[in-house]
Amino acid sequence: MSTVTRRYESQLDSLTETAERIADDGPEWLQEARRLARRVHAEHGVPSTRAEEWKYTSLRRFAETRWSLAARHVATSSLAVPGYVEGAVRIVMVNGRFDHGLSSTDGVEHGVTVRPLQDAIAAGDELVRWHMGQAGPEATQTVDREIRPDVYPLAALNTALFEDGVFIHVAAGSGGDALVEIVHVLADPSETAMALPRTLIIVEKGGRAKFVETYVTEADSPGAVLPVTEVFLGEGAVVEHVRVQDQGPSSTHIALWQTRQHARSEYRSYNVCYGSQLARVDQGIWLGGEGTETRLDGVVCANGEQHIDSHTRLDHAMPNANSFEIYKQIVDDSATVVFNGKIFVHQDAQKTDAKQTNQALLLSPKATIDSKPQLEIFADDVKCTHGATVGQLEDTPMFYMRQRGVPRDAAEAVLVYAFAAEVLELITVDAVRVALETKLYEKLGVDLK
Amino acid sequence: MLEVRDLHASVSEEGTKILKGVNLKVGKGEVHAIMGPNGSGKSTLANVIAGRDTYEVTRGDVLIDGHSILELEPEERSHKGLFLAFQYPVEIPGVSNAYFLRTALNANRKARGQGEMDAIQFLNYIKDKVKLLGLPQEMLSRSVNEGFSGGEKKRNEIFQMAVLEPSLCVLDETDSGLDIDALQTVANGVNALRSPDRSFLVVTHYQRLLNFIVPDFVHVMMDGRLVKSGGKELALELEERGYGWIEAELASKA
Repeated sequence: MSTVTRRYESQLDSLTETAERIADDGPEWLQEARRLARRVHAEHGVPSTRAEEWKYTSLRRFAETRWSLAARHVATSSLAVPGYVEGAVRIVMVNGRFDHGLSSTDGVEHGVTVRPLQDAIAAGDELVRWHMGQAGPEATQTVDREIRPDVYPLAALNTALFEDGVFIHVAAGSGGDALVEIVHVLADPSETAMALPRTLIIVEKGGRAKFVETYVTEADSPGAVLPVTEVFLGEGAVVEHVRVQDQGPSSTHIALWQTRQHARSEYRSYNVCYGSQLARVDQGIWLGGEGTETRLDGVVCANGEQHIDSHTRLDHAMPNANSFEIYKQIVDDSATVVFNGKIFVHQDAQKTDAKQTNQALLLSPKATIDSKPQLEIFADDVKCTHGATVGQLEDTPMFYMRQRGVPRDAAEAVLVYAFAAEVLELITVDAVRVALETKLYEKLGVDLK
Repeated sequence: MLEVRDLHASVSEEGTKILKGVNLKVGKGEVHAIMGPNGSGKSTLANVIAGRDTYEVTRGDVLIDGHSILELEPEERSHKGLFLAFQYPVEIPGVSNAYFLRTALNANRKARGQGEMDAIQFLNYIKDKVKLLGLPQEMLSRSVNEGFSGGEKKRNEIFQMAVLEPSLCVLDETDSGLDIDALQTVANGVNALRSPDRSFLVVTHYQRLLNFIVPDFVHVMMDGRLVKSGGKELALELEERGYGWIEAELASKA
């Protein structure tokens, strides 16, 4: 029998028992959300490459793994946890659970609340209840509170299974551009360990804050991280959000990151992906108010056998909004990177100005890039541009640098760095930018002291 | 210092022959100028000496201090003291001038067994050289050649030359696109670097640069060969009479 199957046979029922146990905890609304998520997952499972949204990224191995939740008891005091700014507010999540010992929430700005998500839920925080699962387009377009299952089936797994997470609330007019660092560590030597952290950030009207969210693995833990991050910007809020995926080369990372902006808010987001064997980030931003400003930028560097997939989606739902998107992808060895950039300009979104650029740099004849811009415009008075280029390092700058005595490898690294710098230089937290630059050079295998 | 022996070279991809037997000797501390009409192969010679792989050497040799350099990578030639000032200096957005130059200097120092300089030592080292070329201090923190005027780019080339202190400087059409003031600044920079240990090969289409950088020898290149050599007065004669008379001279010999 030949039927077109859009999902893989999955071994994820190994998680069912856990899901059932977890579903009995917590308030009724959460139990309901978890039950729905389980049904969604049972129905949609793990999508195959026949599903349009997963055409270039195969989850076969992921589907065939008998996953279990990552270890609960970890000697966390010995973990190497990356930090950027000394003395910054830092939240450390280990295997999807808030770690009080490693976290440091002293010195948090007035009006800013940082706490474990589970605590906020247990305390009956209504903000959590009314925001969780509500950042994406479906929250507006349907009454269903679940994230679109056919597109993000693995986010449903997070909803069904997450144990803990981070809840950050910035009160109206507060924050003072303060930085909050969030570090997610997967620390479990098992190949079947899975962590599902959840991050919920709410910045109220006029609030200002910066977030850097970093994903790492301890000692190249080979498991999977399936995070969901949701961000809400109130009217006139200003947020810079850097996301760094620097997991070890044996791990898997499949993430959903959704943001909802209200009128005149400004959201500058940077998605930096260096790590994992298999990585996929779906980033979506809903521009739900007039006069919003948005940056949705990315830097991807893949080598070896890595497969890194970035799917972005911008929804211009209201008039007079500007969005800028630059994705820079560096691909070496036999690595593959995927870019799909969707921009939807809804009927009401007149005077939209959206600009999307995707540039890939291929450093090896075996490197692969799949790039797919996708613009759907339903308003008539808008400015939308997109451009995608794939290239190699140019000969002339290489020769110029080498003529001045710089060895080939270093010249190549400098030029690759320069390619990525157009995005990295936009990051306003110096310590974060410098750390990302250093990591990029490390990854390119060049020591440029 | 530099010796070019019966050098033949063609464009790597298509095979068009450009250099058809160039012979040249540049002694220590000498300044040689190569003049010639457009398309005669002057820039190709400069680029082949520096190791640009868009050209393929099909015959002959290039030697520095008696050793062939044709098998050396461009960076290895640089470490041997060879510097090429580009006709069209390359813009490298995202890399600061200071960073680039320190990387280059340290690569050279390392290759010569000298210690590397840190950022502070480097800034001290280049202070006087910045003044020499009249470059604004902020130029150091700007991206390499990005948004520089034509004059700034050429001054930046000579500045880099001053920093790297090469023993053989090849200047490829350094005067092109410069007004008279910029030309003078560039020439002053070059003259300040003249020394008994440093040789120059100045490639130029026009004689006017040679009013400022006075050569010891002038060679005329035509159709891939050096067809006439003389002292600095040959440049003046070319300026006055053009290249036609040399062509006629060659034709009458043939």
